[in-house]
Amino acid sequence: MAAKYVILPCNGLDKEAGCLARELALKMAAATGSEIICPVLYQTAPSRYASLLQEGSLVVIDGCATRCASRIAANNNLKIYRKITMAEEAKKRDYNPGPDWRVGAGAAAFVEDVWRSWQPVFMEAEAGRVPGENAGLFAGPLEYAIHRHDKFIFRVPLAGFYFNENDCWVQVEGNRGRVGISDYLQQNLSDITFVTPPDPGTEVEQFGEMGTIESAKAVYELVSPVTGRVVAVNEAILEAPELINENPYEKGWIAELELTNFEADREFLLDGQRYMEVLKEKVADFNAGK
Amino acid sequence: MAENTFMGVPREKITWAPVIDYSRCNYCLECAKFCPHQVYEVREEEPRLIVANPTNCVVFCRACAKTCGPDAISFPEKSWVLEAIKALRQEEGGK
Repeated sequence: MAAKYVILPCNGLDKEAGCLARELALKMAAATGSEIICPVLYQTAPSRYASLLQEGSLVVIDGCATRCASRIAANNNLKIYRKITMAEEAKKRDYNPGPDWRVGAGAAAFVEDVWRSWQPVFMEAEAGRVPGENAGLFAGPLEYAIHRHDKFIFRVPLAGFYFNENDCWVQVEGNRGRVGISDYLQQNLSDITFVTPPDPGTEVEQFGEMGTIESAKAVYELVSPVTGRVVAVNEAILEAPELINENPYEKGWIAELELTNFEADREFLLDGQRYMEVLKEKVADFNAGK
Repeated sequence: MAENTFMGVPREKITWAPVIDYSRCNYCLECAKFCPHQVYEVREEEPRLIVANPTNCVVFCRACAKTCGPDAISFPEKSWVLEAIKALRQEEGGK
């Protein structure tokens, strides 16, 4: 049975990506019996949609990277259940939305294909997401090093965790690695509003993209510390991205990978002690305005 | 360490920086507002936005490109840059 959703699409009509967002919203609304929020009317008269937003899970459909719809949601403290960005979907499919508002000839097929890939997610199946098979494999950090700066306290696990200089970590157990972001990065991003983890089955290269994380400030691309195949994602952060703010090394982990080349990857990683030195320099530089 | 090197390689030897496609850029300046490292510089004359400090750019960070509505910012291929960093590390005798 289809769930009830409330869809907030991009309202941009000056670019094809905005028009594609609208097309997808219409298709999804028809298939799932969902309601569409007009972004313009919502900003003018938000009470018009208050009860609707209480009833259904919010799905945001952004057009381009300007992310107007996401920003409207963030500015109004709306909790986003799922998000689709048409520009990202276009990249995945080598579809090239033009700068013009007119929808190209291949647009209908493109929108159909995007909906086909997302349909299982919205029809209760949660396809493409698998729960962690080894939930008990990764114990939390036993000991943290702490760096204090003004009112900020930054924690770094001392054992079992490796970091890249892009502030992402991997915890390794056998040939499995659990990845996430550091306490320093989560504090820099401030309140995290949405996470897009890599899809299970995705092959990720060391320093390649392992999803995105979004705060009120910006979208941030996560830089994988290791090479491997994604075998699980943290379902909990999809529903509650604030877990990353609360505890980035335990409840806020992002994905688990089957590691394929850790010995080689390790050469480019820092242990907790060395990462703490990098962190101190970053904090000092940040406060010096560099 | 953090400000001068990346993975032990002097930052100025690593060719990682944004490239602006001026045919797409609409000078919304979202990228410049976002970047905390002063990579971009806003000017009065044309072009109004330039990559003024490329070596300030955090290697492998593409966050500014994700703020760009017209998709006017690009970066080098990560795999290519990583291979170059590995080669530089070998040249310099490791870490």
